[in-house]
Amino acid sequence: MILREKGLVVRHSIVELVEHWAVALSGLALVLSGMFEMPLANRYYISSIPGLAWSGDFIVSLKVHYAASIVFIAAAFFHLVYHGIRGDRGMIPQKGDLRASMEVMKSFFGRRKEPPFHKYLPEQRLAYVGMAVIIAMLILSGLVKTYKNIYAPDLSYAVVLWATWTHNIFFVLFVLAFLAHMSAIVLRPNRPMLRGILTGAVSLDYAAHRHPLWVAEMEAAEVVPVAGKTGDMTVETEESAVADTAPSPPAERTENTVGGPSADGKKSG
Amino acid sequence: MGRRSFLKTSAGLLAASGLAWPGRAHAGNGGRWATLIDLSLCDGCPEREVPACVSACKTLNQDTVPRVADPIPVPWPRKNIEDWSGKREVFNRLTPYNYIYVHRADIGGGRTLFVPRRCMHCDNPACATICPFSANHKFENGAVVIDRDLCFGGAKCKTVCPWEIPQRQSGVGIYLHVLPGYMGNGVMYKCDLCNGRLQEGKPPACIEACPREAMLIGPRRDAFSLAEERARKMGGYIYGKNENGGTSTLYVSPVSFDLINGTMTKAPGRPDMKVGVERQMAGTDAIGKAVLAAPALGIAAGVAGAFKWLTNRKSKVKESGKEDG
Repeated sequence: MILREKGLVVRHSIVELVEHWAVALSGLALVLSGMFEMPLANRYYISSIPGLAWSGDFIVSLKVHYAASIVFIAAAFFHLVYHGIRGDRGMIPQKGDLRASMEVMKSFFGRRKEPPFHKYLPEQRLAYVGMAVIIAMLILSGLVKTYKNIYAPDLSYAVVLWATWTHNIFFVLFVLAFLAHMSAIVLRPNRPMLRGILTGAVSLDYAAHRHPLWVAEMEAAEVVPVAGKTGDMTVETEESAVADTAPSPPAERTENTVGGPSADGKKSG
Repeated sequence: MGRRSFLKTSAGLLAASGLAWPGRAHAGNGGRWATLIDLSLCDGCPEREVPACVSACKTLNQDTVPRVADPIPVPWPRKNIEDWSGKREVFNRLTPYNYIYVHRADIGGGRTLFVPRRCMHCDNPACATICPFSANHKFENGAVVIDRDLCFGGAKCKTVCPWEIPQRQSGVGIYLHVLPGYMGNGVMYKCDLCNGRLQEGKPPACIEACPREAMLIGPRRDAFSLAEERARKMGGYIYGKNENGGTSTLYVSPVSFDLINGTMTKAPGRPDMKVGVERQMAGTDAIGKAVLAAPALGIAAGVAGAFKWLTNRKSKVKESGKEDG
């Protein structure tokens, strides 16, 4: 949604912001408490740091790990179901994303000009799938470990070993993916997107300059739909993060989902 | 060999319950085992320098700990090397080279009991479930076994065990090949209920060696009912049935375990016998169950959210239709 009076473009809905930060913050708590499940907090005097005395207690850190994983798992399943039903496909990789990502990478180092983008960069779509696989494996193996802890300590040793080592290996991959995610913000061209994940909106100037295909989709959606096609229309009604403060937007996202870029626009919105 | 026949072929017929209970049992494959330690029978082997059970265990495990690295890498930043390789003969406490010892309990009034101590093989052992590398595992037959090839010797298992049973030998194990000095510090050792022998249909070495058949192994249900029966007959007490959430080791004693525990001072390698000691992990069960319910929570919220979105969309389309019409 374009808020021209404010010079902003709504990039993420409130629901999406809550999802992102629920996964991000609980994920960080999981990384930390998961590390404390290894016998390192006492050895390395981490438990001597004020406020971190609990890190040396495996039972307490397990409780923290469990508590954070409730948020993490619920958010992940919510994400799948909610966006699955809505038919959101904006983060699903498209054909040619791999090649396009390489081009974008080169542009970061001044080798060539950036191509015009849709809402998401091709590497964002690829990274999304990578992170989704990592999170899925962590959740699956974590649930097996939790079930074993409570109900079945004598579960098949092969299953327990699989769950434990999958959890450990994907923990490392999760940390690496998180670091890569953070590194992306360091790159100057990406920085305006930080505002998007914090407030839900990015500046219209930035969007028009870097994501012209996305802006074009939204502009096309602002056009009054063709009469007689109402049955095919998809009206976006989800509250946006900044919509409450917007002085009656010129047009709700009334988008035609029958083919064309508007469908993509809605689904990535 | 079936369970009943296994019971019937026992050598020492200790059939207080009408069951033939094996002193030298052929522990066939399959099923969950439990051991019974009858303190009214154990006399600590006064005629021997080392009690028979301890001696048999030491002999069986004399090569269990491999050659220790020389020098042993100094762990950073805490320089706590635990090296028992020069004290292999120690038999009056648990060490990486000694997985069972016999505690002498002078109860008072001239009465003395002898209490063999080793891993209890708990029903839900935190030492196994909480191991970050799953180097410790409880098998279906009830044996809790440390995989010496996977263990890094972080001693987490010892920390969460109410009796601090596992004992560390530094300078051995996989950590030497990863980041010695920074990660791990050896291998943890403890009784494995002679799991290898159980697989071969043999009883644990300590049980086989006991000259007074003070220690028995059998199908869990039978061991439990025999323990109850013996305790009832002697007007005695049972330890291990509820402790740490339940174990596969039942002590039967004519003297209360509070009194026996009073003769014990908890020290490294010398566990006490606190009655009703709680399973620490029990405090995490409720929140763990909430974790298992989290997928359903997420799905329900997702469906509800999407339903709201669909409803709003429908009403917007309706309004839009009215405006158009």
